Amino acid sequence: MPNIAVFIEQRAGQIKKVAWQMTTAARQLVDAEGGEVWGVHLHASDCDVTSEAGKHGAHKIFTAEAPQFARYDSELWTQALAAFIQEHQPDIVLVGSTALGKDLAPRLAARLDCACISDAVGLTWQDGVVVKRPVFAGKCFAEVTSTAATTIVGIRPNAFAQEETGGEAEAAPFGPTLDDGAARARVTAEETAAAGKVSLTEAEVVVSGGRGIKGPENYPMIEKLAEAFGAAAGASRAIVDAGWVDYSHQVGQTGKTVAPNLYVACGISGAIQHLAGMSSSKCIVAINKDENAPIFKVADYGIAGDLFEIVPALTEAIAEVRG
Amino acid sequence: MKIAVCVKQVPDSETRIGLAGPVPELDRSSFTMIINPYDQFAVEEAVKIKEALGEGEVTAVTVGPEAGVREMLKKDCLAVGCDKAVVVDDAALEGAEPLAIAKALAAALKRESYDLILFGIKAIDDDASQVGVMTAELLGLPHVGYIGALDVAADKLTARREIEGGVEVVESPLPCVLTCGKGLNEPRLPSLPNIMKAGMKPVEVVDCAALGIDAPSSHTTVKQYSPPPPRGEVTMIPADDPAAAARELAQKLRDEAKVI
Ligand SMILES: Cc1cc2nc3c(=O)[nH]c(=O)nc-3n(C[C@H](O)[C@H](O)[C@H](O)COP(=O)(O)OP(=O)(O)OC[C@H]3O[C@@H](n4cnc5c(N)ncnc54)[C@H](O)[C@@H]3O)c2cc1C
Ligand SMILES: Nc1ncnc2c1ncn2[C@@H]1O[C@H](COP(=O)(O)O)[C@@H](O)[C@H]1O
Repeated sequence: MPNIAVFIEQRAGQIKKVAWQMTTAARQLVDAEGGEVWGVHLHASDCDVTSEAGKHGAHKIFTAEAPQFARYDSELWTQALAAFIQEHQPDIVLVGSTALGKDLAPRLAARLDCACISDAVGLTWQDGVVVKRPVFAGKCFAEVTSTAATTIVGIRPNAFAQEETGGEAEAAPFGPTLDDGAARARVTAEETAAAGKVSLTEAEVVVSGGRGIKGPENYPMIEKLAEAFGAAAGASRAIVDAGWVDYSHQVGQTGKTVAPNLYVACGISGAIQHLAGMSSSKCIVAINKDENAPIFKVADYGIAGDLFEIVPALTEAIAEVRG
Repeated sequence: MKIAVCVKQVPDSETRIGLAGPVPELDRSSFTMIINPYDQFAVEEAVKIKEALGEGEVTAVTVGPEAGVREMLKKDCLAVGCDKAVVVDDAALEGAEPLAIAKALAAALKRESYDLILFGIKAIDDDASQVGVMTAELLGLPHVGYIGALDVAADKLTARREIEGGVEVVESPLPCVLTCGKGLNEPRLPSLPNIMKAGMKPVEVVDCAALGIDAPSSHTTVKQYSPPPPRGEVTMIPADDPAAAARELAQKLRDEAKVI
């Protein structure tokens, strides 16, 4: 009978999608095994998530409001969550494997000396938590068990579907003691990407370009197709290393791991290191003029043709279909 | 300035796992081992900081079997500018979880007062992204993760950290733990003479007892490895007429795959 705490991550008052995906997954698990789902939300201003949390399956929502939660601070946020975990002793704590979550979860686990399993794509309970996660960049999956009283599990964005099959959550404010003196590394400025740009790891659709685009002047063609899909634009390492696009776009073993609903690879051969970062995408489309390119081995739909003809045509067709 | 850089030996990114079904343990005998690619950025950054300041010492630290990591330490650390190395070699740490590795590293790092401790953002075998942050916590230090640019002064640093949809500028006092990503620098290649000279640099080998700790145990266990779920056959769409191919694909993505 596990009790599962779900960290409801917000950034500037915006809730991360993975928060509701985790809440849904947690609810499905306790519906089968017993136990409760507790949302835990740290925020700086009036950001009421009670009804949303309930809809997605939380039984209770614990919220702490403090000006310190306006921006992420590793130390203060760890203090707050550590206090919560010590008081309520959840069996499982779910944290999104986001930039923030990857900072928070390991620090929390080290402070509490409990188990920490990152980037989970599967979560079950068999006399204890059983976590499925990709290792070797998705070349195989590991099933991990834990003997700790509390196991912190990082959940990969988009691994679970969000559903609204819950009910009402009971609101339970809590007021952790925050020792501001302990804060050291501080965010002094933020530069957000242009509005409307979807972040690669959270995107539901990703359109990537590789060396087949021939030169940096053609990357906008990939971005236009991405825009038509409402997608994020990615890249192979070849064109990142060539300096055609910034590293933040790189998908693969030494870039970002993405698992969108749809991944469109344009002019990408499908090297093992590239596949490592995208092969768990739900649907994969490959556009490549070489019909023997390895990318077609993992693709669901393929067009063996010249991307300079196909990509603009597809941009139009998608715009039409999506209205 | 005293800098430590933690490096891990991992299977080459070309490694094929190729499982036919679930197995309790991976057969690692055929794996070609390399330095974790992200740790190369950490090594390069440590050496660059030392060079820019014109003083300092860089120590490479690894947990792993001494015989296995010797070449990596020589070629990828000592030959490219690290001054010495520490190997924590303890059979009890084989297959240990990230927190156990972090405990061993923290014990090794505690013996000296480092101003900066650098890690890679993740190891490309376990893909955990945990050890650096955990070590920071165990040492009671701040941590700045996913850094893409770094500026170190005498008693503080400024780093750019990549987050979803943007970049944060983070300031931290020293000592500090940093986890390094790509884009930070271009790791240099070792020259032959430097590889020869690296053989002369000191490598200290210790076990947990020598560090004054009990071998840390793991809370988690990998019960089984399994192949990724198989992917279905590819549906090829003829490309003779690009506009028609594009329309057909768009329609299939909407009606068949239901992804748009
Ligand atoms: C340690 C290590 C880590 C790595 N990490 C990564 C990583 O994270 N991500 C990554 O992507 N790679 C990574 N790589 C590199 C990887 O091995 C490949 O070199 C890289 O993915 C190739 O990129 P590409 O597919 O764009 O280029 P290429 O392999 O050159 O492929 C270009 C493709 O474009 C096609 N093409 C050309 N013209 C056209 C056209 N007009 N229309 C349609 N198709 C066309 C060609 O048929 C070809 O298949 C790594 C390598 C190493 C050693
Ligand atoms: N066995 C190890 N020895 C030394 N450093 C390690 C070891 N394992 C992990 N690290 C460091 O921690 C980083 C993150 O590893 P991980 O948390 O396993 O993904 C790596 O890039 C290394 O810098």
